[in-house]
Amino acid sequence: MKVHFIHFYPNLMNLYGSYGNVLILKRYLEGLDCQVTVETVEPGQRPDLAQADFLFMGAGTEGSQRAAMEAFAPMGPEIKAAAQDGKVMFFAGTAMELLGAEIREADGSSYRGIGLGEFVTEHGRVRMVGDVYGYTALYPEAVVGFMNKCGRVRGVETPLLTQVALGFGNDGLNCPEGFHWNNIFASQLTGPLLGKNPRLLETVAGAILARRGKKLPARRPAIPWEAAAYAVTEAQLRERLEQVPTRKAS
Amino acid sequence: MRKILAILLCKLGSFLGGLMGKGSSLPGKLALMLCPDILGQVEVPEHIIAVTGSNGKTSTVELIAAILRGAGKTVVFNEMGANQLEGIATLVLTQGDFQGRVTADVLLLECDERSTAKIFHYFPPKQLVVTNLFRDQLTRNGHPEWIYDAILPAIPPEAELILNADDPLSSCFARDHEKVTWFGLDRSGASSNSPTGVYHDGACCPICKGPMEYDYVHYNHIGAYRCKRCGHHKPKTDYSGTALDLETGELVIDHWVSILLSFCSIYHVYNVLAAYAVSQKNGVRPEQAAETVNRYALQSGRTQSFTLGKHHGTLLTSKHENSISYDTNLRYIAGTKRDCVVLIIVDSVSRKYFTCETSWLWDIDFAQLKAPHIKGIVLSGRYANDLAERFSFTDLENWSVQPSIFAAVQALEDSGEEELYVVTCFSDRDKLLDHVEKEM
Repeated sequence: MKVHFIHFYPNLMNLYGSYGNVLILKRYLEGLDCQVTVETVEPGQRPDLAQADFLFMGAGTEGSQRAAMEAFAPMGPEIKAAAQDGKVMFFAGTAMELLGAEIREADGSSYRGIGLGEFVTEHGRVRMVGDVYGYTALYPEAVVGFMNKCGRVRGVETPLLTQVALGFGNDGLNCPEGFHWNNIFASQLTGPLLGKNPRLLETVAGAILARRGKKLPARRPAIPWEAAAYAVTEAQLRERLEQVPTRKAS
Repeated sequence: MRKILAILLCKLGSFLGGLMGKGSSLPGKLALMLCPDILGQVEVPEHIIAVTGSNGKTSTVELIAAILRGAGKTVVFNEMGANQLEGIATLVLTQGDFQGRVTADVLLLECDERSTAKIFHYFPPKQLVVTNLFRDQLTRNGHPEWIYDAILPAIPPEAELILNADDPLSSCFARDHEKVTWFGLDRSGASSNSPTGVYHDGACCPICKGPMEYDYVHYNHIGAYRCKRCGHHKPKTDYSGTALDLETGELVIDHWVSILLSFCSIYHVYNVLAAYAVSQKNGVRPEQAAETVNRYALQSGRTQSFTLGKHHGTLLTSKHENSISYDTNLRYIAGTKRDCVVLIIVDSVSRKYFTCETSWLWDIDFAQLKAPHIKGIVLSGRYANDLAERFSFTDLENWSVQPSIFAAVQALEDSGEEELYVVTCFSDRDKLLDHVEKEM
């Protein structure tokens, strides 16, 4: 089966190892006998979304994010229609904010997102930084990651992480994180989140297959390093989490 | 009274800390707690030179101090390396007398990028060097543009800026600033035509985000850039590396000043150029500056030789969370000729704070290790699996994983006699050094 990815603005939106998500998902699908092609799109280009099984945009600086939005805005209605139709997408870091209604910058200026979600992001002068441990409604295992952002996101009704036990979520400490609607996965957790969370990788890959009328087989591709790295980080953060109340009490 | 007590406390703390080999920021921190306005009550030389930026600060400051001292000036600088406000407080209070008077021709300050506003509030620089702005400790620093925004309001309008013409981001500090001096490197033997590294921060203009093109690149986004949309470009340099041979270490500045590099790396060339520019702005004769640089061996060398079994080893201290620091050392190993094995350790991401964050591994160009003389690579430490995942996306094949550092070291001790290079951070280096025989 041929699978086509569109990776929006890989040079402009390239912080915190976001690009790793594309490589990890591609290899996982190849392990399921898919032939994966990745089309990179630069600002000003208009790809044919109908040809794509998966759309991706990574994290960028606040300045890059605004430039990305300028280029992305004309595609807004088309992206919304594709989302409605169940197209699989992953928006990482600041790219998630572009799916919302509005982005207010720290200098007081603002601009509109594509309005797929009703949420609004407000950038501040202080960054929210730290490890994150939480849960999603998609599967029982914990989600691990790292937050590094300056925007508070308010008004998300369908978060990706429904519960954040450690660290920052959309609107601050211990708030739900990300955005999940139909087959749109969006999270501000940095790095290759799909590599850090093997179950999330499976879920996104499964959604891509399901759109093509296929199911994830019982026999999955081996991802030994991802699995082992997840186990270490999950244990570290769980231990950290268990220490937090004790420290507060003392 | 508080002032004198604070100074006493700082001097005593610094003395005791020195005996115990501890860092240099705690005494200053204590003094600031006792007397929060202590730095407003000290007297320092009028001539303050500050150096900030992502990479090369420590080496640049060392070189500047050596050159100015060579020219007969007295220089006080934070050679212990603590570069936040507390470290600067330690420096000023320990170097000054009991009234807080520092007597010297020049106060030279290496400044942490995010601390510039606090430091310059008390010690506004007459000359400010910005070495470059790169991805560095993104967990603390956000991203390079965030750091740019933190430094910009801290710069005193009357300061003379000494800037790297080849860096598209930090060169923006010159916009609307009156006094600017530029250093840079012309096209040379070390130039390539296209960007290097796994991410390309030079692809988009920092001002308008339009596409940029390069006449030549020296490393990552450092080179001769031009934005196709707004025209932002490498400015004409005042002090230029006009010829460079990294094999022999020969650098020629302004067509006639000949320098022999103590450390043959493109990164170090920029430290030398920055220090040279400062020396010229302070009236040092070019020949004299060159002579000092030629004789000078860096004190902050982050290498350590050792023996392990039949291996001769070299520890190349890299900073976790700083891809350029890693890339520098990987480039160095790739450039060596003798057969070698490489041990990479990521065990504690930071010595200062807890985190499991490893996304910075995706910014490092590990593929540089693809060279015939590199016979094997061992990935070790708590985050060895994260390293392995990253390595599995390179075309390197000769790597293996041993999460236990002790076991990895023992296996190396028991077999092989190639050169051994160890790449790790301050936070993890003792976990190796405790098990090997150090050479002086």
